[in-house]
Amino acid sequence: MGGGLSGLTAGVSLLKGGLKVAIISGGLSIHKTSRSEFIKGGGTFLLGDSVTDGVFDGDTLSLVHTQNFGTTPLVARHFILATGKFASGGLASTDREIYEPIFGCDVQYDPDRSHWCDPDFFAPQPFERFGVITDTDGRVKIGGRTISNLFAVGEVLCGTPDIIQSALDVCKQIL
Amino acid sequence: MRGWKDRIKHITKTQHPIFFRMNNNSKEYDVIIIGGGVTGAGTARDCALRGLRTLLVERGDFADGASGRNHGLLHSGARYAVSDTESARECIEENMIIRKIASSCVDPCGGLFITLPEDGDDFRKTFLTSCEAAGIEAREIDPKEALIMEPSVNPDITGAVVVPDASVDPFRLNALNILDARLHGAEVLTYHRVESFIMEGNRVMGIKVLDTLSNERKEYRAQVTVNAAGIWGQVIAQMAGCKITMFPAKGSLLVFGHRVNRMVLNRCRKPSNADILVPGDVVTVIGTTSSRVPISECDNLTVTPDEVDILLKGAYQLSPTLSSTRLLRGYSGVRPLVADDSDPDGRNISRGIVLLDHAKRDGVEGFITITGGKMTTYRLMGEVTTDLICTKLGVEAECTTDTTPLPGADRPDDPGHKAPMPRKAAGGRYGTLAQQMAIESGDSVVCECEQVSREEMEYAVRNLDVKTIDDLRRRTRVGMGVCQGTLCARRAAKVLCELFGTPEKEEQLLRQNLRERWKGMIPVCWGETLRQAELMRKTYGHEI
Repeated sequence: MGGGLSGLTAGVSLLKGGLKVAIISGGLSIHKTSRSEFIKGGGTFLLGDSVTDGVFDGDTLSLVHTQNFGTTPLVARHFILATGKFASGGLASTDREIYEPIFGCDVQYDPDRSHWCDPDFFAPQPFERFGVITDTDGRVKIGGRTISNLFAVGEVLCGTPDIIQSALDVCKQIL
Repeated sequence: MRGWKDRIKHITKTQHPIFFRMNNNSKEYDVIIIGGGVTGAGTARDCALRGLRTLLVERGDFADGASGRNHGLLHSGARYAVSDTESARECIEENMIIRKIASSCVDPCGGLFITLPEDGDDFRKTFLTSCEAAGIEAREIDPKEALIMEPSVNPDITGAVVVPDASVDPFRLNALNILDARLHGAEVLTYHRVESFIMEGNRVMGIKVLDTLSNERKEYRAQVTVNAAGIWGQVIAQMAGCKITMFPAKGSLLVFGHRVNRMVLNRCRKPSNADILVPGDVVTVIGTTSSRVPISECDNLTVTPDEVDILLKGAYQLSPTLSSTRLLRGYSGVRPLVADDSDPDGRNISRGIVLLDHAKRDGVEGFITITGGKMTTYRLMGEVTTDLICTKLGVEAECTTDTTPLPGADRPDDPGHKAPMPRKAAGGRYGTLAQQMAIESGDSVVCECEQVSREEMEYAVRNLDVKTIDDLRRRTRVGMGVCQGTLCARRAAKVLCELFGTPEKEEQLLRQNLRERWKGMIPVCWGETLRQAELMRKTYGHEI
């Protein structure tokens, strides 16, 4: 989920590992080279679609629904959340909370809204460190429970992740 | 007699703010006005129209205090009808005058006072009789009719009254008063801070100022000096040995990213927090709150999370659809409320016009303070001040500001259907003055959100004392749209530097502007605004 730098990096790496991979990308992908590499390598790139929700079987994500496929589910053994931060829609917010809008993954953030921004535009902004919490293998948590086959990579993660390395690390786990 | 257009051409050539510098540091004037807010600007215009040799000094940019940090509401007076008939009467009289003399700044959108079930019907009855007593045309209508007139209003209303409220752009109103003052010979200095007075015995002879851009110190002399510094007037008066007790009342407001309402929406109840919703250009503004702050905090106000919550609650009650409308930013201003001399504790704080002749009050000759009042009554404040100045100078001259249109407001502008978008936008902002801007095509847009062209920017730089992108914003709306300058700040900085001939200042101007935009986004930084904030940081945060 997500056709940006982290999603494409993971996609290309998993294709090389012999898996069948589909990327669902909601918006424009500016990483054209990685995108063509992914498509040439046999990947499925679903441009202009986005995941609306998922169906869980215990602590496993069984399938997801998308805007364009409607009631037809997309099934996979592993899912990767690479949806980015606020501007790209990977994280959303109200005046009271920051949340992950597709699955409701656990998010690390300061509940006090007045601490979300630094008054100095040029200082590092606290909200830039908010993001999805994962275990050491990159699996997300929902309500404190680790989901065995849903990983998060790139900017959607909390802290200051290395976009490419976080994607490659998760691929190692999957492969 | 030459028209204002001829004079404008003349000014462009000889008084270009970049090249025009007053070298004569001991120049003599009839009157010096301290403060470039709307009161100072209106007074300078009145003085200049009456032929007085006038100098206005402003420590920053025009409309940088309360004049630019308000609702943008041209009060009908209805808001004050129940509590203060005199203020209400002043408002309606001035409202009718400003509509005529400043038509390019005013949107005669009308206003509604609405009753919600929890407000009860008693206040509305008193309200209607009070409006009539003050000469305000207030017409009660059926709530169903109100919903047709204003579809965004809360459908639960149990009563509605139509009043002649209007929306006004405070920045342009301020700038056009300055422009007209200059067209009539006044001189204007921005970024000049008054450090002390030149005193001879008990007489104020003039001012000592610091040019904060060049760090030069200068002196100017005049027979009369006017303190029109708003809330900062207390400090200015102190420098002349006069004591004025101000009660700084902070008011916060929030800007929504769309114009949701056609008309001004007011709650028909005793004035309270967050009960006026004003449409301005393409946005909607909710306000205000009210809290006492020390004078020392007036230069650095922030909107608190509690104020945001109060404002949103009030906004959603007036117009529930706002709960799904994007917020752009928040800002705060300080009302220059003054304690009556007989009431220094401020139990009966006046919201009316306060004109102090310090010769009579404190024995200090040649010094006047004009304060209090409201933006709606700025012209009247200028008139009464200029009357007093003329008396002191022994000059007999009639006030004409109530009938003389501001530049560009002489007739409604019709740019024609085929005019390019930026020309229509400039016409909407500046009336016939936009013809001076020579916007021939839609190819030179710098700010997409507000359709500000390079030509409009150039006009502002040459005629309206622009030194920073922020000054340019107050003249043209550059960077005031939904992207808050994310897409145009760099372009605006570049164009400004080209016009100034100072390419090395581009980064400095850009940084300054981004810091200012950021300040207003922080209080409402969630939802779409947080997304915008992230994009702005990614665009500029790491590069410069």
